[in-house]
Amino acid sequence: MDSNGRSAAGALSGVRVLDLADGLGAYASRLLGDLGADVIRVEPPSGSTTRRDGANFEGTTGPGASAFDRFVNAGKRSLVLDLARPEARTLWVRLVESADVLIETLSAAEASRLGVTPAAVTSLNPRLVHASVTPFGRDRSDDSVRDDDLTIMAAGGLLHLGGYPDGTPVVAYGGQAQVSASLFTAVSVLVGLIERLETGLGTWIDVSAQESVAQALEDTVPMYELTGVVRQRLGADPREAGSGMYPCLDGAVAMVAGRVGTARAWQALVTWLVEEDVPGATELLDGRWSDLSFRQTDAAIARFGDIFSGLARSRTRMQLYEEAQRRGIALSPVNDIRGVLADPQLVARNFWVRVADPELGVTEVFPGPPYRLSATPARPARSAPRLGDSTRSIVVGELGVDPAGFDRLAEAGVI
Amino acid sequence: MNRDLTGTPGGPLKAIRVLDFTWVGAGALATKLLADLGADVIKVESRARPDNLRLAPPYRPGAENLEGSGYFASRNSSKRSFALDMRKPEARGIALRLASQCSVVTSNFRPGVMARWGLSYDQVRAVNPSVIYLTMPMQGEDGPHAAYTGFGSTISALAGLVELSGLPDHQGVGTGTHYPDHVPNPGHALVALLSAILYRNRTGIGQQVEVSQLESTVNVVGPAILEASGGAPPHVRTGNRVQDAAPHGVFPTRGVDRWCAISCRTEQAWRELATALDRPEWLADPRFGSLTARKEHEDELERLVSEATVQCGREELVELLRRRGVAAAAVNSSKDILEDPNLVARGYWQRLEHPVIGEMTVARPPFVMHPVGAPVAAAAGTPVVVGAAGASTDERMAKAPTFAALPAMPSRGPAGGELVLRRPPLLGEHTRDVARELLHLSEDEIGELERAGVLA
Repeated sequence: MDSNGRSAAGALSGVRVLDLADGLGAYASRLLGDLGADVIRVEPPSGSTTRRDGANFEGTTGPGASAFDRFVNAGKRSLVLDLARPEARTLWVRLVESADVLIETLSAAEASRLGVTPAAVTSLNPRLVHASVTPFGRDRSDDSVRDDDLTIMAAGGLLHLGGYPDGTPVVAYGGQAQVSASLFTAVSVLVGLIERLETGLGTWIDVSAQESVAQALEDTVPMYELTGVVRQRLGADPREAGSGMYPCLDGAVAMVAGRVGTARAWQALVTWLVEEDVPGATELLDGRWSDLSFRQTDAAIARFGDIFSGLARSRTRMQLYEEAQRRGIALSPVNDIRGVLADPQLVARNFWVRVADPELGVTEVFPGPPYRLSATPARPARSAPRLGDSTRSIVVGELGVDPAGFDRLAEAGVI
Repeated sequence: MNRDLTGTPGGPLKAIRVLDFTWVGAGALATKLLADLGADVIKVESRARPDNLRLAPPYRPGAENLEGSGYFASRNSSKRSFALDMRKPEARGIALRLASQCSVVTSNFRPGVMARWGLSYDQVRAVNPSVIYLTMPMQGEDGPHAAYTGFGSTISALAGLVELSGLPDHQGVGTGTHYPDHVPNPGHALVALLSAILYRNRTGIGQQVEVSQLESTVNVVGPAILEASGGAPPHVRTGNRVQDAAPHGVFPTRGVDRWCAISCRTEQAWRELATALDRPEWLADPRFGSLTARKEHEDELERLVSEATVQCGREELVELLRRRGVAAAAVNSSKDILEDPNLVARGYWQRLEHPVIGEMTVARPPFVMHPVGAPVAAAAGTPVVVGAAGASTDERMAKAPTFAALPAMPSRGPAGGELVLRRPPLLGEHTRDVARELLHLSEDEIGELERAGVLA
């Protein structure tokens, strides 16, 4: 209930999303669905490609057992419709007419072949907010190449910064090009819906995954432009004394206590080391250590690392975390997944959501929603759909096809 | 090349005004996108406490001052800057008056700071009932670690992304950046904020939106959480390798630090790679005869591919492979990406003229919006609702919004409107404009508040 006594509804209640996206865009409609939209995942009879993406769950095999698929498609309804078949046309028209949002990841050629071009869908529904999510933008000429997360992370510039000094660039875990493209797809669709409230008109949105990744380049572009310096990979190496990753008794911690704006944290760190009688800590009281440019020298970085290890080698990640934070220092454990699942803050906030997955016969633990909306809370994750689980209820129940017509389409393999 | 981003003059979010207390990273990037799309974002800062990024390199050489940081400039395009020293008691009333005239109030402080200034959600809501109030605390407003502090890199470590990314026999390294600040946290914040704006525009009901930066970041490693919950051992770092493709990695090309990413997800792509590199013997080699075989001999496979690619120029190799349908891309450095032909052609980089920094480059939002060209054919007086009439099972929709009869819309083709980013503001550049427009202060009153160090 909100403060006006009305019961909570989703922020996007009543918004219907048609989801024809592969891994590049599937998380976008997951987010919209959790906020109340009705997301229909339109899949070919063989199932969406996400059902085969990435690692399978332990002890499970085959399509539908991908952890990535279960995560990005949670809570959606699945409708099997073979858009390549002419008999699918009438149903597709009704679906588009009923929808507010269409998200697809087709190449220009595929979109033409399936009749899912901006012009075609707009003529059916001029109010449709239609996002095309592609690796490089839809006007790229060689878009029949099957790019994946690695090549998009490369083109977007983030891959160059990942990995170890003097080594090969190494890509981040988790399909971050897919995450980035999906996030900005959701953002752009919402902008389109807000604009539509005023104008009554839809929009075609050309989302580029390369551009989405290039939002994450930190200070590197102005650095090159203003100073000519091309920033290189730093890996786990500190950028200055007090910042970076440091080994400890049971792993490593990450810390930022030397940057501009963290002068107090640096002082607190020195005080901590001195109070603990760490060998060499009193050296850090020397005035030159207050100077960032000194702390950025290789000698200072190395010396600080030696001194800090005098403390860290006898402490666990969690011991360092709690004491550093008590002193106002931004230090965190470098958690593995078990550490993340056990994080006291996440547990205390009831973040984890247990979801029974009837298709796989397992109970999955999902991260909770990434945000809390006071009047329209996001729905907790629900299981990802079995292939075609809602075909009949949508086609017969909502699109008005009679049961005999449904059976004919099913026999023909269209649905 | 000019591109239209929106057909609405002034941008699709021109009706949104934001009182923006966010600074440094994730918050500033979220409000940058709102501003670039037309929202009036009023950034509150002061000389006593400027945005830390104004004090962060890289600077225009010779301009190492509050106005010379390229880092700040790159995240604050299109905003207005209002100088207000929140430590002064008079400032709080001014801030609240501004908040009463804004549709959105944003901040990313530790819990409690806004309340100390008399700007908690309840306090703002008292003067602005439908306000959307966004906070982005590091770990949430409550819980045992609510007061804990962090940066993108430490949140990335806490959320598991650092440990998951890197080579198996090395320390995990994540992205090598404060990545959660750049995409996951501003991205999730924008999804929540824009959804709340849409809901408010439909119903008149505002709300509070809280984005815990930790909880947001954990979602970008979601699949690893699901895998672990199925009883599997925690995911092990695999560098650039994946189980369903080989070769799948980054390979050297001619020159220093020039790399090419290559992904062969099909047998055909593998054959095309061997052929393009003129290594037909690979195709006859049983060690490489199937995906399974190539995964078993991946060290040797990568060594041989590297020996071949290092003979090639990077751009030529990318073009050669892509022409054959093999996914390949240059590993763009910061220099490369400014010159990337695709980004340049799409108008991704916008050149802005800054009075202190000079000509500088800022990224626009990563999408291009093409509004529908034809006016909607709604009869005058027909209410139009979000969602298709009759299609939605949600009863709420049937009653909701309702915007009045549509005015005749001019046809909006590709020339309907062009995204124009405005240059980032100097500190307090718009103080007087905002004080006149929104606070209705006279020149004398403004001068007095400036001298008293309140508008400063």
